[in-house]
Amino acid sequence: MSSEYKQVKRMTTAGRIIHWANAISMVVAIITGLYIGHPYYQTFIADGAVDKYVMAWNRWGHFIVAIIFDVTSIVIAYLFFFSRFEKAYKKVIPTRKNITEFFEVLINLVTLNRRKKFDSTHGDSFNSVYFLVFHLLLIWMLLSGLQLYVSGLESGISSIGNWWPWMLHIATDWTRVVSGGTVMDVRISHHYSMWFIVIWVIFHIYYQVWRTIFWKEGDIAIVFGGSKFVKEN
Amino acid sequence: MSDRIEGVKKLFTSKSARVETNKGESYYLDLFERCQTRLSDLRASQPANRLDFSEVLKDNSIDRRDFMKWVSATTAMLMLPPMFSPLVAEAAELMNRAPVIWLELQDCAGNSEALLRSDGPKIDEIVLDIISLEYHETLQAAAGFQAEKQLEDAMATFKGKYLLFVEGSIPMGMNGQYGTIGASGETFHDHLMRVSKDAAAVVAVGACATFGGIPAAAPNPTHAVGVMDVVKGKPIVNIPACPANPTNMVGVVMHYVLTGQLPELDSLLRPKFAFGYRIHDNCERRAHFDAGEYVEEWGDKGAQNNFCLYKMGCKGPMTFNNCSIVRYNEAVNWPIGVGRGCIGCSEPDFWDKYAYERPMANAKIKAPAGGVEKSVDEFGLGLLTAAGIGIGIHAIASAVGGKKDDGGEA
Ligand code: HEM
Ligand code: SF4
Ligand code: SF4
Repeated sequence: MSSEYKQVKRMTTAGRIIHWANAISMVVAIITGLYIGHPYYQTFIADGAVDKYVMAWNRWGHFIVAIIFDVTSIVIAYLFFFSRFEKAYKKVIPTRKNITEFFEVLINLVTLNRRKKFDSTHGDSFNSVYFLVFHLLLIWMLLSGLQLYVSGLESGISSIGNWWPWMLHIATDWTRVVSGGTVMDVRISHHYSMWFIVIWVIFHIYYQVWRTIFWKEGDIAIVFGGSKFVKEN
Repeated sequence: MSDRIEGVKKLFTSKSARVETNKGESYYLDLFERCQTRLSDLRASQPANRLDFSEVLKDNSIDRRDFMKWVSATTAMLMLPPMFSPLVAEAAELMNRAPVIWLELQDCAGNSEALLRSDGPKIDEIVLDIISLEYHETLQAAAGFQAEKQLEDAMATFKGKYLLFVEGSIPMGMNGQYGTIGASGETFHDHLMRVSKDAAAVVAVGACATFGGIPAAAPNPTHAVGVMDVVKGKPIVNIPACPANPTNMVGVVMHYVLTGQLPELDSLLRPKFAFGYRIHDNCERRAHFDAGEYVEEWGDKGAQNNFCLYKMGCKGPMTFNNCSIVRYNEAVNWPIGVGRGCIGCSEPDFWDKYAYERPMANAKIKAPAGGVEKSVDEFGLGLLTAAGIGIGIHAIASAVGGKKDDGGEA
């Protein structure tokens, strides 16, 4: 065997920081979100109400990670179009080339890697579309979550300025209409969407591991070291 | 620039939940003047009935002091500054110049009951007593053609001036034949359309008249809808809740008598003075919510200690209403005060979407795909299991028959 491996850079440092910030935030969002939806622990401890503050801390944690999501989403949305490294939107435009690549990668997965007719050096259309789905889900979580949040700011006053609830109303009032008309529908949808995200994450992890095992190009390393290895021939 | 910003702001937020409690001095001075003119016009006009407000108060042994307390509370509820108190007091006395027609459609008459069955009439009820109720389908003595005649007379005499109160939903199924009224068998829908045509404004009271309420709950056999779904091109105010709080009915009539206008409304046409705030944000059990102290089952230690009712299904966090502030029956108590959760009765579709007595996350509701009712978590775990099985099959198949790309060595 004489083939040489070449290292290809696939993710910038900023990209990896965002990835892990998102991953950790997601775990926290799910744990705290499930508690908010149905408080499942610690109800009877013998402290005064002011001392324990269990729900309040959970909501606080949920909102902090929500803000991390907010900020990283704006950064990601920017990079999606303007990144100097790799403009991801180019991979999700349904051009003939992208569509072919999308299906080739899908066939590769379904045929258990018996057929591999695309270039796995760079990011591929299938993964790009898959990530797009995630970002759409995340944006829905953000907007529906912010709608739930702004219903508690009914006076229109906020410690960081009145522009904040005002902006949230503009940005998120429509989520009520599209999810069925009431705040409750927004909440139901927020909870369902969480499950779609959980499923997304599970397949995402499985697929990256699967690629690493079957392609033998060290794909899993991308998210740690920023690069993978492809054979030179 | 700044007026452009104002314009954009108006465009986007006019229907939003924001509650403006202070509109600035010039606004109130201007309003004060307009109210004064309005009240002197009203005073000059012919009272529609001979009931004298102070006489009625005396008959019910309510003294001046109680009345003035009520005036301050009502002024505050309408979000007006204290200088309006004398005007509110005057408006209360002039209530008999506000002609009202009250229709009773598909419902349980609970809103009329809420007015009538208080332990002793309080000022809110008295104010509603002396409004000039020209026609009330449940209360009037007249029946048949005689009642019909009375309605025609009231509509003709007060054309364009009367407030139309509507209680109950409108059945649209089977050409409206689920509900008819009068000797001619007029459907509720036609009845409402006819009477609303010459009304100054329509006030829908209770969950049914506003959003369809319980008659409209799934599967909605009569295709019941609310007033705002059928009456178009008229000012409409929704006073939902099951029943609507008499305090809020008075608030709306009072605002109308005082200013000649309807109060500021939210996107669901509910007056913001009453429905601008969430139950949860003014609830006396809120400290227990934040602490994570919940009633786990009826009558447990938590219940005895007034813990939060969230886990018993309280929907206060998603419900806009002022019962946590004004309460019911002249502020005697309210649902959460007596130890049961809010069921969101002032929100659209409350029976299907709010009234199950457990947290949403834990309740059987319709799954998005339809079919059997599941809790969101059961649905989610179901999907997750399906995904897990799919992935498992793929993993095993890959392990057994997959091709590893290792440079042709394998
Ligand atoms: C993407 C990750 C997120 C996940 C997985 C998630 C999950 C959840 C879950 C499961 C609930 C409970 C719903 C219920 O059953 O009632 C919840 C509630 C909530 N979430 Fe999120 N959420 C996420 C992001 C956000 C964001 C970005 C916000 C924005 C501020 C947000 C705000 C809220 C609010 C306000 C509630 C209701 C809390 C309350 O009423 O006290 N969430 N979330
Ligand atoms: S009882 Fe209901 S409204 Fe009151 S704090 Fe608890 S959840 Fe909120
Ligand atoms: S507590 Fe909730 S369900 Fe009860 S009357 Fe108030 S809004 Fe309606």
